[in-house]
Amino acid sequence: MDSISPVIDGFGVVMQPENLLYCLIGVLVGMLVGVLPGLGPAATIAILLPLTFAVEPVTAIIMLAGIFYGAQYGGTITSVLLRLPGEASSVVTVFDGYALARQGKAGTALGIAAIGSFVGGTVSIIALTFLAPLIAGFALDFGPPEYTALALLGILLVATVSNGGRLKAVVAACIGLLLATVGRDGFTGAERFTFDSLSMADGIDFVPIAMGVFGLGEILYNLEQRDAASRPPAKVANVWPSRKELKQSSGAIGRGSVIGFVLGILPGGGAVLSSLAAYGVEKKVAKDPSRFGKGAVEGVAAPETANNAAATSSFIPLLTLGIPANATIAVIFGALLIQGVTPGPQLVEDNPELFWGVVNSMYIGNILLLIMSIPLVGLFVKILQIRGSILAPITVLITLIGVYTVANSTFDIFLVVVFGLLGYLMKKFGFEPGPLVLAFVLGSLLEANARRSLILFEGDVSGFVTRPISGVLFAAFFIVVLLPLAAFAWRWRKAADAELAHPSGTDGTDGADDDSATGADDTTDRGPADTDTPVAHTTRKEQP
Amino acid sequence: MQRRTLTRTGAVAGAFLLTASLAACGGNLGGDEESSGEDFPDGAVTLTIGQDPGGSTDLIGRALADPAAKDLDESMPVVNKPGANGAVAAKELEGKAADGQNLMVINASLIAITPLAVSEDEVVDIEDYEVVTGISQDDYVLVANPASGWKTVDDLIKSGKKVNFGTTGVGTGSQLSSQLLFNQAGVAGEDVPFDGGAPAMTAVLGEQVDVASIQLGEAYPQIEAGKLTPLVVFSKERNQYLEDVPTAIESGYDVPVSQYRAIVAPKGTPEATIDRLEEAFQAAFDDPAYQEFNEGQLLTPHEISGDEVVKEWTEARDSYAALVEEYNIDMGDAS
Repeated sequence: MDSISPVIDGFGVVMQPENLLYCLIGVLVGMLVGVLPGLGPAATIAILLPLTFAVEPVTAIIMLAGIFYGAQYGGTITSVLLRLPGEASSVVTVFDGYALARQGKAGTALGIAAIGSFVGGTVSIIALTFLAPLIAGFALDFGPPEYTALALLGILLVATVSNGGRLKAVVAACIGLLLATVGRDGFTGAERFTFDSLSMADGIDFVPIAMGVFGLGEILYNLEQRDAASRPPAKVANVWPSRKELKQSSGAIGRGSVIGFVLGILPGGGAVLSSLAAYGVEKKVAKDPSRFGKGAVEGVAAPETANNAAATSSFIPLLTLGIPANATIAVIFGALLIQGVTPGPQLVEDNPELFWGVVNSMYIGNILLLIMSIPLVGLFVKILQIRGSILAPITVLITLIGVYTVANSTFDIFLVVVFGLLGYLMKKFGFEPGPLVLAFVLGSLLEANARRSLILFEGDVSGFVTRPISGVLFAAFFIVVLLPLAAFAWRWRKAADAELAHPSGTDGTDGADDDSATGADDTTDRGPADTDTPVAHTTRKEQP
Repeated sequence: MQRRTLTRTGAVAGAFLLTASLAACGGNLGGDEESSGEDFPDGAVTLTIGQDPGGSTDLIGRALADPAAKDLDESMPVVNKPGANGAVAAKELEGKAADGQNLMVINASLIAITPLAVSEDEVVDIEDYEVVTGISQDDYVLVANPASGWKTVDDLIKSGKKVNFGTTGVGTGSQLSSQLLFNQAGVAGEDVPFDGGAPAMTAVLGEQVDVASIQLGEAYPQIEAGKLTPLVVFSKERNQYLEDVPTAIESGYDVPVSQYRAIVAPKGTPEATIDRLEEAFQAAFDDPAYQEFNEGQLLTPHEISGDEVVKEWTEARDSYAALVEEYNIDMGDAS
């Protein structure tokens, strides 16, 4: 078959010394920016764009792609060791990765993440090689209704990924949803909560929120805890996971690869959604879901596998349709245009060296990352041996400079400070910031697509369930909603029976479910959600 | 030994960030001095882009910055300050010293179209700036999925169908052009705003919407590949890259909508400085690499003088406002 020969020619392109060198530079820089909080791959690629003008298009894109998937791994390192996700797609890695690090098993977490990333990336490239042409048509069937369903599913998962009380997770998620409404209405042009500030006209950017509530908030909270309580792990010993841990996470890596690959193809938020979905799936299939958030290796393996698989597969819509799937890919799209290459359906035919050169470079890049990640982790870990009083100001500085470089906006620095305070207060009162950030990302996706769908359906809501893909997604949504609700109702009834014996003054409980916030809070704290309360209490006990 | 490794890592990280931050804020120094224009240029000239990196405006700015910097014999760092279709960057430029050291690439849509959709105090007036030069013209094309069988606007009208049209957002040329066309043609249609050109185009490719008005540079590869059918362009004259596609005006509709871009400096910049800048950008326009870039991006050079830009954009703003009034078009609730 003559469709094989361009694939092999592509390897010839990658093996040229210059391309190999740029691939190495790309993944190294990627890992570095992934580790540096605040400085994401999109900003880095944009800053480094001028450096690529002098080289061939294929060389330039090989390097920029390397930065992108290299950063997916780098983000893991800070997620695990510092509790600072470098990227939105590493947010869920924080939960179990950091827990493992506090148990002295940071090495295991990073080792598993490296292996998972390698497997996910490689599986995704192989699938990309064979499926790229077929996939293109499939991605197009995802219209506004399908995105609405996906976003709803994602927001639902937000509540389950949190390791605090479920009600507090929902509250945090609601704050996130509200924050997502800030900015100029994309349908009417009306200003919403912008206080006549142009800086708020486009809404609040994701980066300052994430950097604030995770980064700054965590640093402030740690400072309050003084020495011993939050001292980072002394060393990363034994990055090679044990056979038991490998066995434990093999299923997660397999599922993560598939989830990441499929969700990465969808235009918009692929890597974030997929890490989230992979984590949620693991929690669902686990025999003992309560281990999650307390250092389950699957909780690291699944999202890290999925985000690497998604980073790779998000090149599919770019290279086959000329459609950038996310912000970083959009910058790479810009780089291609500067190079005089217009990505689109005809790219594979007109410019096979570029297409296959870039695709095949990812095999090499992933091998490089796997080889380098182990020794380099040791290097990054040294950062953690500095005392908190030295590390904290440096991290704050890097965060603030990093957030400034994204949009050259001093207003964003101000936002980081505000959200840092919010994150600190949330931590202090036992609210997890994760659901807030994730709901914020998904909220704007949900609103825009739901309204778009309703315009298309002329206001007829049944349209959501009559389309095959969105119908299936909504069915999944309702199953995920109803099963725990049914379980909850059953437990609640049992608890209510018990309460009849000892009436305790909260009469609101027999009213509507969504009665008052305080009434509901009481219920959660004492009542039926037994599994949730101990966790919340542990979090509080950590305070000195 | 551990400590040494640590210092080295820190140094690498520091150097990297320092480079990044220097690139970001270079050229903002010494902006307070009074200037007569004689000592221009005095240090780096910053070119601000009001849009995200990677977009057309950004690419145009970067393509121009290199050759213009060479002519000025000073560096010209390109800085992105995205927000509110460039209004954030434009308002900021207003407060900068009028010495020519700070410039911006500004979009005609911000001046002429965005005011139709946003509240009054957000409106940016071109009269508040000194215009150095016009740059180029970027045309909107109405595309349909070939599965619709439509080849012209007439086909669409004759189908008698209610048309869902995708736009690249509220208050954009894409929204204005399609609103004007469908209102004048008496086609019942629903405006579906997306976040930019790529998602709007995807929606046409995936048959989520029937047609979309998209900038030519974005739609062209799909048109070439036969995956999108161009029905009409919204420029005043036919586009040189789509010779066979009629304009809306030819088809009998009063829809003259294009995206233009220009270089502006703060109000009160000395004339000598503006002249020197114009010369530098003229040299950039003549640069073969820039001309090649224009062709690659399917941009039509529109290198008119500053005065012409002010006249053209102000007229466009007034005529759009009149048309929107005449056809009772709702661009946004806030206007």
